[in-house]
Amino acid sequence: MDSAASSKLSFSRPVPLPAAFWLALLFCCLAVAPGLAYAQTPALPYDESEAQAIDRMLMCPVCPAESIDQAQVPLARQMRRQVREMLAAGAGRTEILDWFAERYGPSVLAAPPKTGRNLLAWTLPVAGVLAALLAGVLALRAMTGRNRDDAAVPAAGAVPDSDLEPYLAVVDQNLARPPGDDGQAGDSGSGARDG
Amino acid sequence: MAELGAMALWIGLALSVYAALGSVLGQLRGAPALVESARRAVYVLALAMLVATLCLIGSFINRDFEVAYVAAHSNRAMPDIYTWVAFYAGNEGSLLYIALVLSAMAAIALRWAPASTRDTLPYTTAALMVIQTFFIAVMGFMANPFDRLPFIPPDGEGINPLLTHFGMFFHPPALMAGLIGISLPLSFALGALVGGKGRDEWVDAGRIWGLLVWVLLAGGLLLGSWWAYTILGWGGFWFWDPVENAAFMPWLALTAFVHSVMVQKRRGMFRMWNIVLINVAFALALYGMFMNRGGPVPSVHSFGASTLGWVFLLFLAVGVIVPFAVFFWRYGLLKSAQNLDSMLSREAAFLVNNLLLLGIAFVTLWGTVYPLFVKLGGGAEITIARPFYDQVNGPLLLALLFLMGVGPLLPWRRANWQSVRRALLLPGSAAAIVVVILLLFVTRSPFALVGFGLSALVTAGILLEWGRGMRSRHRSTGENYPLALARLLAANRPRYGGYIVHLAVVMVALGVLGGSLFEQQRDVVLAPGESYEIAGYRLTYRDTTQQTFADRTEYLSHLEVYREGELLEIMQARRSFYPSFNMASTLAAIRSTPLEDFYVVPSENRPDGAVGFRILVNPLVWWMWAAGPVLIAGTAVSLWPERRRERAAVSFPVARPAAA
Repeated sequence: MDSAASSKLSFSRPVPLPAAFWLALLFCCLAVAPGLAYAQTPALPYDESEAQAIDRMLMCPVCPAESIDQAQVPLARQMRRQVREMLAAGAGRTEILDWFAERYGPSVLAAPPKTGRNLLAWTLPVAGVLAALLAGVLALRAMTGRNRDDAAVPAAGAVPDSDLEPYLAVVDQNLARPPGDDGQAGDSGSGARDG
Repeated sequence: MAELGAMALWIGLALSVYAALGSVLGQLRGAPALVESARRAVYVLALAMLVATLCLIGSFINRDFEVAYVAAHSNRAMPDIYTWVAFYAGNEGSLLYIALVLSAMAAIALRWAPASTRDTLPYTTAALMVIQTFFIAVMGFMANPFDRLPFIPPDGEGINPLLTHFGMFFHPPALMAGLIGISLPLSFALGALVGGKGRDEWVDAGRIWGLLVWVLLAGGLLLGSWWAYTILGWGGFWFWDPVENAAFMPWLALTAFVHSVMVQKRRGMFRMWNIVLINVAFALALYGMFMNRGGPVPSVHSFGASTLGWVFLLFLAVGVIVPFAVFFWRYGLLKSAQNLDSMLSREAAFLVNNLLLLGIAFVTLWGTVYPLFVKLGGGAEITIARPFYDQVNGPLLLALLFLMGVGPLLPWRRANWQSVRRALLLPGSAAAIVVVILLLFVTRSPFALVGFGLSALVTAGILLEWGRGMRSRHRSTGENYPLALARLLAANRPRYGGYIVHLAVVMVALGVLGGSLFEQQRDVVLAPGESYEIAGYRLTYRDTTQQTFADRTEYLSHLEVYREGELLEIMQARRSFYPSFNMASTLAAIRSTPLEDFYVVPSENRPDGAVGFRILVNPLVWWMWAAGPVLIAGTAVSLWPERRRERAAVSFPVARPAAA
C-alpha cells in the first residue's frame, strides 16, 4: 500500500525547473509591487504611519464599533489631531494610549492591554486553539493506533457485502472499457477504495 | 395588496405547521399519503411566501405608506430600483425574505432529494418546517411587515442612505440566504439521524447544500467588504465588526464542513465529526441572526435592529440543544467505516484544517463575548476590536494557508515522508524564491514574507499538478493542451473545483496582505487647484459641484490623477449629506489596477470650497474583488453533477495507468 501511495506522488518526469522558476517569478512581480510604492511624502514633525497605527488602536467613543481612523465625526477628527500633537511633542505609543484610556475610559482602547485580568482575553483563545489541535492530534493517533492492532483485517472488510455489489459491477464495466477512456480520473486520491 | 400579503403569511404559517406535524405523524403511523401531502404543503408554502413577498414589493412600488414598513423604509424620492433593497432593509422585511428563501430551498431540496435520503425525508421535512414555522410565527405575531399605520402619512422616511449602493442588491440577500440555508444540510443530517440512518445516506445532499450555502456566504462576505471599501469612506474592507464576525464564523464552520464531508464521502470516516460541524455551523448562524437583531454588542450593522433579541436568543438555545441532543441520542450509530491509516494523510490534514477553522471561529466568538463577560462580572467596560483579531487570528489564517498548500499534495490514506518531500520540492522552492526576492528588495515584515511565501506555495502546488495532469493526458490521449486541461478538470470536479476555489482564496490573501500591510494613507485638506503627492502619484483637486435633491445634498469633487506628469485619469468622488438621517454617505473615487488602487474619498466639505480628502494607495486589493467570480466558478465546477452517480460513489484505480 505504501508503494502504491508513493507511486502516485512520484511523477514519471518532474516538471522542468525553469517552469517552476517562471511561476515563482510571476508571483514575485505581484508581490514586489507594494515595495515599488515607497516614495516619501513631505516631512512632518511626527511619524505619520505611527500616528495611523495609533489611530487604529483607539475607538471613537460616540460611534458604534469604529476606530478613530475610520470614524468621520468631529470628535474622531479632534482625537486624531490630538494623537499627532502628542507624537510631535515626543510622546510614545503607550504614553498616548494611556492618556486616552484615562480620559475616555478603558473602552476607548481597541484591544485591552496585555496585563492583569485582561491577559485572559489574549491567552485563553490561544490556549483553546492549541488544546484543540493537541486533542485532534491525540485523537488521530488513537485512530491510527487502533488500526495497527487489527491490521490483519483489510480496510475494505468494513464494507458490507450488499454495498459491494454495485462496486463490483462498476469494476467489471470499467475493465470492459478500452484503456484511455475517461475512467482514468487523474485523481491521485482514487486509490482510496482499493485494498 | 397588503391584505393579500398578510393572508398569505397566515396561510403559510398553517401550511408549515401542517407540514411539520404531517410528515412526522405520517411516518410514525405508516401513512404515506399523509407524508406525501405534507411534502406538497411545502411546495404550496413556497408559493404563499412568494405571494407575500410580491405583495410587499407591490406596496413599495405603489408607495403605499399606510403600510408601516413601507413608510419606514422608502419615500417618494427613492428610485424604484431600490425597492428590492428596501424590501429587506428592515427587520420585518428581512424576516419575510428569510422565510421566502427557506421555503424555496426546502421545496427544491425535497423535490430533488437524493434517493439515499428518501427514507428519512419526512424527518428532514419536519426539521425544515419547524425552523420555517419559527420565522413565520415571529413575523405574524411580533414583526408583521404588513402592519398598518392608523393614518396615511404624506411621505415615507426614506431608505437608509448607506444602503443605496450597488453592492446592497446582493450582499444582504446573499448573507441572509447563506445563514438560513445552513438549515438544509443540518436538516438532512438530523433527518438521517432521527430516522436511524447513521452511515453516509445524508452526505450527498449535505455536501451539495453545504457548498451552495458556503458560496452564498463567501460571496456575501466579499460583496460586503467591497461595499465597505467603496462607501464607508475609510479605505479598508474588513474590520472585524461584530456583525461581520457573525457571518464570518458560520462560514468558517461550513468551510470545515465542506472539506470534512469529502472525507466521509470518499472514505466513510469522520461521521460524528461531520454532524458536530454542521450543528456548530447552524448554531453560529443562529447566533449571527441574533446578533443582527437586537444583539447586545454595538455594530455598524444596526439596520435590522429590533426588540426581538430575546426571541432569537431563545431560538438560538433551542437550535443548539436539539441537534446536539439528537446527536448524543444516535451517537452509537455513527461508527466510522474505516480507520485512519496514517497521521501523514489527506484525512489527517483535513482534520487539522477543520480544527484550525474552528479555532479561528472560536477566537472570533471569544472576542465578541469577552467584553460582555467582563461587563456582567462587574468589570470596567472594555473593547475588543481589530488589533486583537489581527494579532490572534492573523497567524492562524497563515497556518491555514500553509495547510492549503500541503494538504492537497498528500494522498488519501497514507503518504511516506519521501514522497511528500518530493511533492513539496517544487512548490517549496517557488515559495523560497519569493521570500528571498521579497527580503532582498521589498520588505522585512514577517507577516508579508510568510503570507506571500505561502501564497506562492499554494499556487505553485496547484498549477504544477494541473500542468502534470494536462501533460500526461496529452501524452496518453493526444488531446491538445487546452482540451486536456478542460477534460482533466472535468474528470474529477469536486477536486479540481476545490483547487479553483483555493486559487480564489490565494487571490483574497494577496488583497488582504497588500491592503493591510503596504497601504499608504494620508488625510489632507485641499483648496481648489491644489495638489498633493503620494507614492509617485500627484492628485490635483479641481473643484466641487453641489447639487440639492429632495432628500440630500450631493457634493461632487472633480479630481485629476497624474503619474510622472502624465494625466492618468479624471475622477469624481462623491459625498452626500442626508439631513433627515443626519448622516453623510460617500462614494470613493478609485483607480483600480491589479498592482494597486489609487483611492480618494472626501471626508468633509468646508464652506470655503476646500475639501478634506483621505488618499490611499492600496496595493493588490484588486485581486480580492477579482477573486469573487473565480470562487463562484470553482464552486460551480465542484457542484456540477457527474454523468453517473455510481461513478462518484465508487471510484478506484482499476482503469488508471500508474503514472498519473
